[in-house]
Amino acid sequence: MFYRLAGVRHTSYAADRALWPVPVDRWQIRALLALAVGAPFLLPDLYLTSYLLPWLVWSTAALGLNLLMGWAGQIHLGYAAVMAIGAYGAIHAVRLGIPFELALLGSGLLSAAIGLVFGFAALRVKGLYLAISTLAMQYLVDWIISHVPAISGGSQATLQAPAFRFLGVPVAGDWSRYYVALAVCVLVTSFLLNVGRTSFGRALAAVREKDFAAAVIGVNAFYFKLMAFWCSSFLGGVSGAVLAFCYYRAVTPEQFNLDVSIQAVAMVIVGGMGSVIGSYLGAALVLLAPIVLNNLVGAFARAAALPLHQEVLSHIPLILYGVLIVGFLLFEPLGLAKVYANIRNYFLVWPFRHARH
Amino acid sequence: MLLDTPVARPTRAIVEPPPAPSSADDTLLSLLARNAATHARRVALRERDLGIWHEYTWRDYLDQVVALAAGLEALGFEPAEPMLVIGDNRARLYFAMLAAAALRGVPAPIYPEVPPEELAHFARERARFAIAEDQEQVDKLLELRARTGAPEYIIYDDPRGLAGYAASGLIDYETVVARGRARLKADPGLAADLIARAGPDDGAVLLHSSGTTGRPKGVLLKHRRVLAAIRNAAAADYFREGEEYVAYLPMAWIGDFVFSVGAAIALRFVVSIPEGQETVLRDLREIAPTLYFASARSWDNLLTRLQVGIDESTPLKRGLVAFFMRLAIDIERRRLAGERPRPWWNVLRGLGELVVYGPIKDHLGLGRAHRCYTAGEAIGEDTFLFFRALGLNLKQFYGQTENCALTAAQDDARVRLHTVGRALPGVEIRIDENGEVLIRAESVFDGYVDDPDATARTLVDGWLRTGDAGYLEPDGELVILGRVGEVVHTSAGERFIPNYIENRIKFSQYVRDVAVLGAGRPFLAAIVCIDMEAVGHWAQVRGVAYTSYADLSQKPEVYALVQGVLRHVNGVLPPPLRLRRFVNLHKAFDPDDGEVTRTRKLRRNVIEKRYAQIIDAIYAGASEIEFEARITYETGESGVLRRRLTIMDVGA
Repeated sequence: MFYRLAGVRHTSYAADRALWPVPVDRWQIRALLALAVGAPFLLPDLYLTSYLLPWLVWSTAALGLNLLMGWAGQIHLGYAAVMAIGAYGAIHAVRLGIPFELALLGSGLLSAAIGLVFGFAALRVKGLYLAISTLAMQYLVDWIISHVPAISGGSQATLQAPAFRFLGVPVAGDWSRYYVALAVCVLVTSFLLNVGRTSFGRALAAVREKDFAAAVIGVNAFYFKLMAFWCSSFLGGVSGAVLAFCYYRAVTPEQFNLDVSIQAVAMVIVGGMGSVIGSYLGAALVLLAPIVLNNLVGAFARAAALPLHQEVLSHIPLILYGVLIVGFLLFEPLGLAKVYANIRNYFLVWPFRHARH
Repeated sequence: MLLDTPVARPTRAIVEPPPAPSSADDTLLSLLARNAATHARRVALRERDLGIWHEYTWRDYLDQVVALAAGLEALGFEPAEPMLVIGDNRARLYFAMLAAAALRGVPAPIYPEVPPEELAHFARERARFAIAEDQEQVDKLLELRARTGAPEYIIYDDPRGLAGYAASGLIDYETVVARGRARLKADPGLAADLIARAGPDDGAVLLHSSGTTGRPKGVLLKHRRVLAAIRNAAAADYFREGEEYVAYLPMAWIGDFVFSVGAAIALRFVVSIPEGQETVLRDLREIAPTLYFASARSWDNLLTRLQVGIDESTPLKRGLVAFFMRLAIDIERRRLAGERPRPWWNVLRGLGELVVYGPIKDHLGLGRAHRCYTAGEAIGEDTFLFFRALGLNLKQFYGQTENCALTAAQDDARVRLHTVGRALPGVEIRIDENGEVLIRAESVFDGYVDDPDATARTLVDGWLRTGDAGYLEPDGELVILGRVGEVVHTSAGERFIPNYIENRIKFSQYVRDVAVLGAGRPFLAAIVCIDMEAVGHWAQVRGVAYTSYADLSQKPEVYALVQGVLRHVNGVLPPPLRLRRFVNLHKAFDPDDGEVTRTRKLRRNVIEKRYAQIIDAIYAGASEIEFEARITYETGESGVLRRRLTIMDVGA
């Protein structure tokens, strides 16, 4: 209904591969960007810092994991550990006086290096076995962080993120932290959007579909699997650092335990494997659904004056949350991205049922 | 009755003064050079190749034409020499036409689907030069050469598949252009000379009249004729400068030459050439033309496709489309009837534009089309109303090859279903005592090529005899009934024009072609060719199983469907002219079998001869006939097929 495709034509193959050939999509992106930039002016600070900011950071993280799971088809159950390496690495670097921008890159490189080591496991094992070996990474990293005082400051310690400047501007308030997170998020998103159009992205897709078939057509599966681990771990490290500096502002080992890894995997699967918008939607659902459900159930219980025990009341949202996730996997295994695509297609072919010609 | 002419009707249309007369060096070439000078960087032509639009600016356009002309001259191309142009619309074929015209030669485009044996007729001038689109056309020309010795030089656009050809005189387009460029480099004055060589009285194009009544006749149109026609039409605001236009009609048809070459150069259109005939509708959406011209038949096809698509759609979408289309058609009907617009029309139409009309127009690629035209034959009421209701300014015009296609056109204020509009400025229309339409204008041609007899019959005292029967309404609007030669009588002496009735039947989406019989017979009957797409879908929805066209056409349900269509038409016909019986043919009429012309006009004598068995059975009162069909395969071999066809009464 809203989509107008008449007059959309290309005079070169480069133009034909444009990210958003449809004008309406371009307008959507512009509107979203404007909203994101204007959010601090539009939203109360509470919503900005406790909803929008974590959503952006977790979307960035989910994008990184999606590169590995969705694009390259390798599972990773130790993503929180990768983020932890980035977070601790960045904080220590800034404490040593390294500028934040370099620390951010450095944290990414550190995570990438360590992630790569575990990535080697992926060359030998697949599927469940890979899941277990990445799980081992999760436990190892957790254990090392909490047991090496030089990293965590002790098993019960909390490490404060020092004050920092970004591109010469001191980042102190909620707004400036939000803009740093937004900038990183936009950068990572544009990287992921473009991955699919490069030979790297196509090679990853080939490896995902079948690694030895990819090898047969001349794609070096060894190299691209490692590249996928490297890139994904780099993005994980960067998003971990942003999470530590912009959202938590103090880190403890528990913030990056196995639960968090599972949540990241849930974001990718519920959102949609190999989809950029899916990473956003998945992060939104996993982060926000518990809060929304909690409020809804609470409000309903009060309104209906149900004589429920506090214990029961606090578990109902969890049950519903589980139902929601299982429901999504049952009814739309391709994730929220597919739901969005279905809606978009419905209007794209309006008033027909399917594309003509 | 269909033909009676009330005494009160005028016999001459009001003549508006023609636009400024043309100057001495007024040719398509000089106008092209003017465009290249004033709008060098503006896009002139756009051609789709493997999904990508390749653009030519006006400077590129002139460059190509001049270089090709120089190359052709080096090969020995001489003035007044014909240049065969055969293939689908391609930029290089257009360049070749203009290059030949620049050398004062005569570009002669030919329908690409003309079979080799008919090619000899079009090439009867023994043209030495030909340009072909691809291997298929080159093969045909080589076959022609084996038989007649001409053409000597065959230039080809697409080299695919031609690498192994050893035939002499077979030259790549690029080679000719390269040779031309070398000459232009050596002689700096040559380019200007080539542009200025042709004059207004040199031929711009040689086309063939469609020839429903006999062999096609060659029509030579001079530069000044073509330009006069375009200026007449532009003076009537028929098209404006800088339109986006899509060149997809056959190059050998006058409509394409006047729009894609003549008007495009005179008024600086941006002409887009689709990838191929099969992708026209798809590419149309990428082009989004502002000016769109299609035959009545194409508009019908478009409507059929739309309806099939909407029938398959989901209930909500289907319901919305049905509601808003009914509304818009109702409003349009009232508006055409002259009712005053009501405020609520605009409100509902605005909503409908958002929900239904806009998206449909966008799907068709006509979202930006400000001027939509149809010509050639009468358009169906349903089709006409549907597209006007969508918000497309669809109008009819009237013309013939002999008058550069532009004789009369509807204007916005007077759009009516049964008229073809009023005479364009500079065109005089007169109705003679037999009811034939006569035309006098600067745009009328100078005579048929090599056929003085036909010329003498057609051009009488400066008037062009169109051969069309028609009349003028009191306000000067022209109504065309059919061909003068088509008026026939039943054995009871009733006069009628079969074509007029056929068009009314064809307004149904289920009927692709129909031949109305009855000349010298006691009553009228019809041979119907169903529309495979529409009837096929209709059968699918109703669970009627079928295997082929022939099988589908003989289903009792389909007979009932066609019967309903014919009864509806009978409702508006006077009782003696009502159709009494009909038969569904096992195949559609095909130009390759000679049953219809390339522009899909019926060849009655062929049909009456080929289906004599069926026709006799209809009038003998039989309810069934075993018909031996002769079919010609694409390889040229022929075979015999036995078919049992049902003959049915139309009834009341």
